[in-house]
Amino acid sequence: MINHFFRLGFVQMGVQLRMRVLNLWSLVLFFTQPAIFSTVGILLSRAAGNANPDLIYTVLGAGIMGMWSGLVFTSTYDIRADRATATLELIVGSPTPLRRVVGFRSLMNILAGSSSMIAASAVAVLLFNYSFVGINVLGAVISFLLLLIGLWCMGVFLANLFAWSRLSGTFVDLLEMPIALLCGFMFPISVLPLWMQKISAVFPIRWGLEGLRDSLQGGMIDSALTTKWLISLGISLVFYLLSRWFDNKVHDHIRVTGELNSI
Amino acid sequence: MIKRILHYFRLYFYQAWFSYRSLFSWSTPFTYLTSKIGFPFFSMLFFVFMGKFVGFSDPMFIVVGNILMMPVTNGLYGLSMTIGNERQFGAMSYLLGSPAPRAPLFTGRAFFHILDGFITIVVALPIAMLLFKIDFSGINFMLLICCLALLAITTTGLGFIMGTISLLSRDGWMLTTTLGQLLYILIGVNIPIDKLPPTLQTISAYLPMTRGMQATRLALFGAGWENVAGLLLGELLVAVVYIIVGYTLFMYVERASMSTGSLDSI
Repeated sequence: MINHFFRLGFVQMGVQLRMRVLNLWSLVLFFTQPAIFSTVGILLSRAAGNANPDLIYTVLGAGIMGMWSGLVFTSTYDIRADRATATLELIVGSPTPLRRVVGFRSLMNILAGSSSMIAASAVAVLLFNYSFVGINVLGAVISFLLLLIGLWCMGVFLANLFAWSRLSGTFVDLLEMPIALLCGFMFPISVLPLWMQKISAVFPIRWGLEGLRDSLQGGMIDSALTTKWLISLGISLVFYLLSRWFDNKVHDHIRVTGELNSI
Repeated sequence: MIKRILHYFRLYFYQAWFSYRSLFSWSTPFTYLTSKIGFPFFSMLFFVFMGKFVGFSDPMFIVVGNILMMPVTNGLYGLSMTIGNERQFGAMSYLLGSPAPRAPLFTGRAFFHILDGFITIVVALPIAMLLFKIDFSGINFMLLICCLALLAITTTGLGFIMGTISLLSRDGWMLTTTLGQLLYILIGVNIPIDKLPPTLQTISAYLPMTRGMQATRLALFGAGWENVAGLLLGELLVAVVYIIVGYTLFMYVERASMSTGSLDSI
């Protein structure tokens, strides 16, 4: 049982990695777009008279943006591609649950997207002499892990949502930038109006990201930071449970109608 | 002679209508609107808040720049898809095998994208002005309309080139997207041209929309024809050069595909 689980994960993630590497579109999602947004931030900062940009937000934030863009496009387009090439029915019909396939795919998408964060960190260190001295290493590692969990849960949720209805494909353009905006990928949440800050509270990425920034700025592990971690973990769990609910809904629908491509 | 000209016009508008319809007729109004304004609108807000965070004193510069950037969705992305999809859907062989003159076939694809881009910007600009409480009481309306129309036209130059490149490369869409995003830096959308590093300023001088955007900004603040004539003429010249380059490239690709007999696989 466990062997089968790990074998499935290994094979599924291997295929997914090859698809990401061979598809040049990944280059845009993971590197080009974040680099362009980061450049805009740096040039705006210079135009505003700042000698140096805020590296945590302007450069490392671009890495987070690459992770999110990669996740939202790959998680959603994978399901759309499955539907278009009629492999969605084969996956659903196989004894392996769809949610497990989607789960491994999303995990690989996030790990591949982490290359964006690595590239952003390299740029911050090599080009802007960013120093990791004085950061809260343990806090940063835990926050980053929680960020990955949050991203994974949202990725699985979106993939199931897209399997549930082909109309949900319409929302890709309404997901990428709004979430980046609401979660403050490249600026602090405090610059947003209050109503936007309230909306952003329902996304686990926001809390993981705040924890990561606090830790990168040397903040200690105190009650404020642990509260952010717990909120991030709690909301991630809610997204995961929602994705389970969607998964059941998809299977119910197939049993009733006997078809999947048309839903 | 008149019959021939009428034939050209008929072909031009038929091509224009069918190619545009094939791109959007399958979509619902909601899908159409989200594809048109989803990314531009939210990226505008993103840049506004990014500017606010770094202390950029003129958020309206970013708002106006991103609104003026909207025709790129049609002129660059839409047109590039219209041309590039011919190969993807296997229609390339039939198109190149037909005896129809190439000029109306090729340039016709831009007509409705220009119209759509122009309408988008004409609708979006007043909405943005109301939302962000921008006071443009001194607007020179005739000049503004002229500038907006020119912006909608000039983006197609890049669309023609990238569409033809999409015929040559299966990764054409990636290149088109990268170019489209680079425009956020290079043509004065978010950052004034004079604040760019010298190398980027030089590049921006050779790109379409740079002068058009400057002229439109001036028109919004009440500048007259005499103030922007040079910019508009420069913009027109750049647009013509890009469209000619796009058409020449297309003719070259067609000739190359004929000589190798590999219409769809080049």
